[in-house]
Amino acid sequence: MVNENLVKDVVKEPYKYGFVTDIETEKIEKGLNEDIIKLISQKKEEPRFLLDFRLKAFKKWQKMKEPDWAALGYKKIDYQDIIYYSAPKQKEKISSLDEVDPKLLETFDKLGIPLTEQKKLTNVAVDAVFDSVSIATTFREELAEHGVIFCSISEAVKNHADLIEKYLGTVVPASDNYFAALNSAVFSDGSFVYIPKGVTCPMDLSSYFRINSGDSGQFERTLIIAEESSSVSYLEGCTAPMFDTNTLHAAVVELIALDDASIKYSTVQNWYAGDEEGIGGIFNFVTKRGKCLGKRSKISWSQVETGSAITWKYPSCLLLGEESVGEFYSVALTNNLQQADTGTKMIHIGPKTKSTIVSKGISAGNSKNSYRGLVKIGTKAAGSRNYSQCDSMLIGDQASANTFPYIKSQQPNSEIEHEASTCRISEDQLFYLQSRGIEFEEAVSMMVSGFCRDVFNQLPMEFAAEADKLLALKLEGSVG
Amino acid sequence: MEIIEKITTNKSIDSQTEIQKICLDKLQSSPLPNPRSEQWRLSNKSKLSNFLDYSVNENNSKFDIPYPKNSQNTIRLIIGENCQIKLIEKNYSIQQLSENKLQKYIKEQISFFNQNENWSDLLNLSLSCKNNILGLKINGSKIPPIEIFSYASSNSFNAKTLIIFLEKNCNVELLQVNLGEDTSSLSQSTFFCLEENSSLNHGVVSYGVNKSNLLNSLNVIQQKNSEYNLGSLQFKFNYARFEIRIKQSEGNAKTNIKSMQITKKDEQITTYTKIDFDGPNGFLDQINKSLADDKSHAIFEGSIIVPKIAQKTDASQLSRNLLLSNLAQIDTKPQLEIIADDVKCKHGATISQLNEEELFYMRTRGITLTEASKLQLSSYFQEIISFIPVSKDRWDLLDKLLNEN
Repeated sequence: MVNENLVKDVVKEPYKYGFVTDIETEKIEKGLNEDIIKLISQKKEEPRFLLDFRLKAFKKWQKMKEPDWAALGYKKIDYQDIIYYSAPKQKEKISSLDEVDPKLLETFDKLGIPLTEQKKLTNVAVDAVFDSVSIATTFREELAEHGVIFCSISEAVKNHADLIEKYLGTVVPASDNYFAALNSAVFSDGSFVYIPKGVTCPMDLSSYFRINSGDSGQFERTLIIAEESSSVSYLEGCTAPMFDTNTLHAAVVELIALDDASIKYSTVQNWYAGDEEGIGGIFNFVTKRGKCLGKRSKISWSQVETGSAITWKYPSCLLLGEESVGEFYSVALTNNLQQADTGTKMIHIGPKTKSTIVSKGISAGNSKNSYRGLVKIGTKAAGSRNYSQCDSMLIGDQASANTFPYIKSQQPNSEIEHEASTCRISEDQLFYLQSRGIEFEEAVSMMVSGFCRDVFNQLPMEFAAEADKLLALKLEGSVG
Repeated sequence: MEIIEKITTNKSIDSQTEIQKICLDKLQSSPLPNPRSEQWRLSNKSKLSNFLDYSVNENNSKFDIPYPKNSQNTIRLIIGENCQIKLIEKNYSIQQLSENKLQKYIKEQISFFNQNENWSDLLNLSLSCKNNILGLKINGSKIPPIEIFSYASSNSFNAKTLIIFLEKNCNVELLQVNLGEDTSSLSQSTFFCLEENSSLNHGVVSYGVNKSNLLNSLNVIQQKNSEYNLGSLQFKFNYARFEIRIKQSEGNAKTNIKSMQITKKDEQITTYTKIDFDGPNGFLDQINKSLADDKSHAIFEGSIIVPKIAQKTDASQLSRNLLLSNLAQIDTKPQLEIIADDVKCKHGATISQLNEEELFYMRTRGITLTEASKLQLSSYFQEIISFIPVSKDRWDLLDKLLNEN
């Protein structure tokens, strides 16, 4: 079993984003109650409607039970032991990036985020969220020329309150689920994007989320609105330092696409996954949902999930508009003691709606990787189609891979196809590649990359390259 | 719900056997399955309570077998009527299981029971009286085909139990027919133990009339090198649920399942399967077909469980569904739970209607739309029906289905 050990060695790579930035932060006390929520709202100088929204969500959350249906096992979260607001201390209002704490900029440099204006050539506008607060958003002026609004959600609350009031909570209502309710009550910041009618966003938009404190949760909220005939591609990246404690991340993402609009949302999630014994790591409970409201609108989710101790995430599409399209492309890799229960929901409501699901799960070490997806075709969705493909790859005999597809159809004039398979890295293929002079590690990496090709093809260029590398690094030392 | 009252009060069940006592004890604290559990989530609650709303009938009225016997050889048994069996021939023997062995086996099974997962069996065993339990052990070779009938009479709840031990190296063809009269409930639990090198071709045909209900549970344990083939068909039940649990206890066994359910009017029929591979080199090929028309609801839930010990398992599961009406619905959930890494497992599911291009092609060849649809349905049914043993050459199920569809 030389190979086994070799492959196991290939998946081990230290978490390179595990540093902590020593920066003065402003935190509020631990715990969750109405006063804390009022304090967060007050700190952010929010209008009344938002405070009401938060308090209503909190009331609902108190009555809800933490879901236990996912194939996940983790120790109980003490919601009173979390700091719900933590922000880098700012002495004065920042007017340009030069005034941002240099240590913070250094952090983003380490993360490889093109935050500074010198990196303009990369042509990606970034909104960076550090702990709870959005630090800086780049390229704002250039975007403004096209009428695109890209800012932190706190700013949007101040400057575009009408849009926030109109759309916030319309896709993921506050009472949707336990974690969405929690987020609705305490969300601290996040990104807001508005693409006006007929505009194709001139550059990819990107947000980078970073948790820096060990005892604070991150609850960001993203809202993207694409007006008629507009289109946007949005990238999201996540990292966190290494702590022995588990940190909670409960985000909500809402997308709205009107007639002929298209939104592409790509995520590379690389939160700290905990060490080999499963100590520490982020608990990632995320609700992501897009609403294809308009005719011929399109929402496409692509994600590469490699981090987090626990992942509970089902980016979904509500296909309301006639001929609207939903897509979900996912690669989920788990190693050591990571657990992921992830998938999607495609709810076909309007006629002639189409959805495609391609999910690739790779489980190594002692990890658990489950695909859980729902495809539902309602009575009015005549002429709808769905195609789902879920493949799992098992590396080592301790890992587990589960597939739980829920398929429901109430419309005879529709077609649903689902297929799933499970395999492992074939020794024959490895042997073949090795006999052609390709080294073992490279061969494994090639095969994993080939397995995920369908999904990587959907990622924006720079993300695809990063994802490929990330997977190879993550798998270092575990194949076999 | 009369049955539940009977269980909770535990008054009117006279002369309880030990098994009945154990099961009643288990059911008393929570007499119904948890409607929120994964296994029972989609089950129609009012239909289930209707199923339980009859009084228990322990006597068996005269019953006519629906089709003729085609050879003198065929052994026909009716649960409730033929309990004392002793057939010892030159090559084979079919005998009543001794009371001790029967008790021991059932008790052992009950010890593994889980309230939600095995609720149907607990209900059956707590209500099935001694006369309605048929326990057989079969050994030898050149065994003639066996047919076993189970039926429920009108306006009553009937619990029947069948336990069969297939001893080493024996091959059996067995057709099990479950029939429900109008407004009746049948709880049928079947336990098979296939010993080494044995093989069983098993057919299950269940059908009712208006407002018949059926809760059919099948538990199979396969020892190594055994082969189990199941062809099943169920239709015309107001509420029916077929639970298939197969355990390849040592691996190295083969299982083939082809099942089908047809729902019309406002019927609800569920097929629930759970296949456990508890050893290496297991094989499974499963296909489940559903056809839902009118306002009916067809459900398929299948799980394949491959633990670490079950290396080199080769399992495939396919759910094919035809949805023929705007008001009907289909739910399907084929699931895989895998820990072993050296396995080949796959599943697939499709939901669609009759293929329009094929229909169009046939119409261009002068075949009417009705005929063309019949032809398509017949090929859809044929794959399953031809897999049901014994019946295929004389009991024309296909005609029966096509003429009613």
